[in-house]
Amino acid sequence: MKTLKIMAMLFAVILNNEYYAQKLTGLEIVENVYNRSVGEDMTADLTMTLTNSSGDSRVRKIKQFSKDFGRVEKKIMFFVTPADVKNTSFMNWSYDEEGKDDDQWIYLPALKKTKRISSDSKSDYFMGSDFTYDDLGDRQPKQDNHKLLREENVNGENCFVVESTPKDKDYMYSKTITWIIKDKWIGLKKEFYDEDGELLKILNVDKYENINGFLIITHTEMNNKQNDHKTIMELKNVKINTGIDDGKFTERIMIKGM
Amino acid sequence: MKTKIILILLIIANGLFAQSVDFSGYVRNYSGMLAGNGNSDFIIQQNTFNLNIEKNLGVSSFKVNPMLYHNNQDSLTLKLREIYLDLNFDNIDIRLGKQQIVWGKADGVFITDIISPKDLYEFLLPDFDEIRIGVIGAKLNYYLGNNTFEFVWLPVFTSTNLPNNNSIWAPQMNFAIPPTFDNSKKEIIPSLENSEIFMKYSALTEIVDFELMGGYMFDDDAVMFSTILPNNLGGMNLTITPEYKRLSVAGGSFSTTLGPFVLRGEGAYYFGKYFNTNNLAVDNGTIKKDYVQYMFGTDFTLFDINISTQFIQKAILDYEEIIQPNNLFNDEYNNMLTFLAKYSMLNETLDLELFTYYDFEFDDALVRPRILYNFSDAINLQFGANIFSGSSGQFGQYNYNDMIYGKVIYSF
Repeated sequence: MKTLKIMAMLFAVILNNEYYAQKLTGLEIVENVYNRSVGEDMTADLTMTLTNSSGDSRVRKIKQFSKDFGRVEKKIMFFVTPADVKNTSFMNWSYDEEGKDDDQWIYLPALKKTKRISSDSKSDYFMGSDFTYDDLGDRQPKQDNHKLLREENVNGENCFVVESTPKDKDYMYSKTITWIIKDKWIGLKKEFYDEDGELLKILNVDKYENINGFLIITHTEMNNKQNDHKTIMELKNVKINTGIDDGKFTERIMIKGM
Repeated sequence: MKTKIILILLIIANGLFAQSVDFSGYVRNYSGMLAGNGNSDFIIQQNTFNLNIEKNLGVSSFKVNPMLYHNNQDSLTLKLREIYLDLNFDNIDIRLGKQQIVWGKADGVFITDIISPKDLYEFLLPDFDEIRIGVIGAKLNYYLGNNTFEFVWLPVFTSTNLPNNNSIWAPQMNFAIPPTFDNSKKEIIPSLENSEIFMKYSALTEIVDFELMGGYMFDDDAVMFSTILPNNLGGMNLTITPEYKRLSVAGGSFSTTLGPFVLRGEGAYYFGKYFNTNNLAVDNGTIKKDYVQYMFGTDFTLFDINISTQFIQKAILDYEEIIQPNNLFNDEYNNMLTFLAKYSMLNETLDLELFTYYDFEFDDALVRPRILYNFSDAINLQFGANIFSGSSGQFGQYNYNDMIYGKVIYSF
């Protein structure tokens, strides 16, 4: 009886894998990643450590809040260090509607002004890091063509390997290749290729945690292979579904602070 | 005296440290050298200590921002740029004390941004947080979602701060004959009657951000009333009596995005503004007219260069030729352009920047190239130039003040 059970389970696993291998397309895999639930709201402390080719490091600390309002996801970030950007805040409203650009604002304490900025410059690097705004945000799956290349085991995790080619030929990357953990729908590793098709950056997810039943990526490292610069991002004090007040995502809070 | 000021600051700082008060600020060395007209004088040798002391007490908080300037001739100046108390309620914030208030969407020009006057000790060259003077009063903000209603009451009038007459930044004043100044009417006594009030409604929405404002105020710049009387020697005596006059203003501003472009606009209508003229035929040397100023601008990125440009027009309504000449107007209209280009490299440790004002009417300009390098997170190095061109107008009048400068800033 026990043997039968084991056989049945093995059969189910094989069938399951067969199902994924045969049925899931590259687009569906990426959509699963895009649609993976990370809770209704999140509070976290983000630390970015930027290291150049000489080994010199700079540290940026940010407190961030995000909340899903249904058709719009709002995020607000407060820069804590370094001293010259302290009290600067950034707010982003991201919409579900296809083709609708994000709304973004930045509050500059030295100018005492909230400025609307264009979200079209998603290829800009975030605070001197190796992450562009687009790398940090949720890029909509339909902006790229996706192709399932193979399956591969990375760090003991079974992964789909998906190649994504942008539909917009002017996009800053000619293609990306992502290793996505089966069932968990987490991108474990990602390679970014520049406009000439040369490898530009490699992103590695070093840690993800189960917080309140949601899988949250808490430690990543982006290595720029062309200028030997890297950025480590760590999320600490992550809190999910604490019921952040809607009023947190307003100009008043941007100016006033956390 | 200097030692006492520093000692008091240290004692206050030490006492507050114990109560987990938030301290931040910077220490700056600023050296500038005149480069125009064969001069090579170190005109600026300045050390600055800027301290922000902040404490959040839950529903209330306070901020104190003293700045110490140690200048060329070993002179020490203490400026208390801001000192205020905040009271925060569910939908209302109240700020009491000396505070800088910034309105509008324009950069580098002041259209609806007229509550905090300007400190022009070094013309428009200091950073904008140093150009603004704190005003003493109360500000109340009422919030309704993303809508904000703001009320400002200023019982104490604060005027534009002009440089000393012997400063290289003293504005040119071309009088027909050498004048005598009578400052007897220059003071505005703090009283309810002499209060200034401002109101603003602003909203931040998916489509557009906008502000609508109105104000009943004193013009921050003095009107130069002139009197000409014959003297005993058969000639004429010219007496200039500076006086601050009431002004009503209504205006607004907006900001939105169109694809990769941020579009900005701002405009204001000034009811009954006085204009100075050097024309002796004009009664009292001044004329009162309604006046309009507006701006359209855009921000965008081209080849990884962040570009921001603005067109600004000023117009004196019901214009009369007799207003001429003065240093700010030589026609009914005055058209100006600003241009900013900024390129960041080496993971935002090195910035190249160019900012320019160009005035079409006077064909004068101020060109400000600058290199900024973050030596570390705390230390920022700057090297730049201020180049004035033209022979008249607000920039051309400083044609001999071309300069290069360096700054070292330690932030903490």
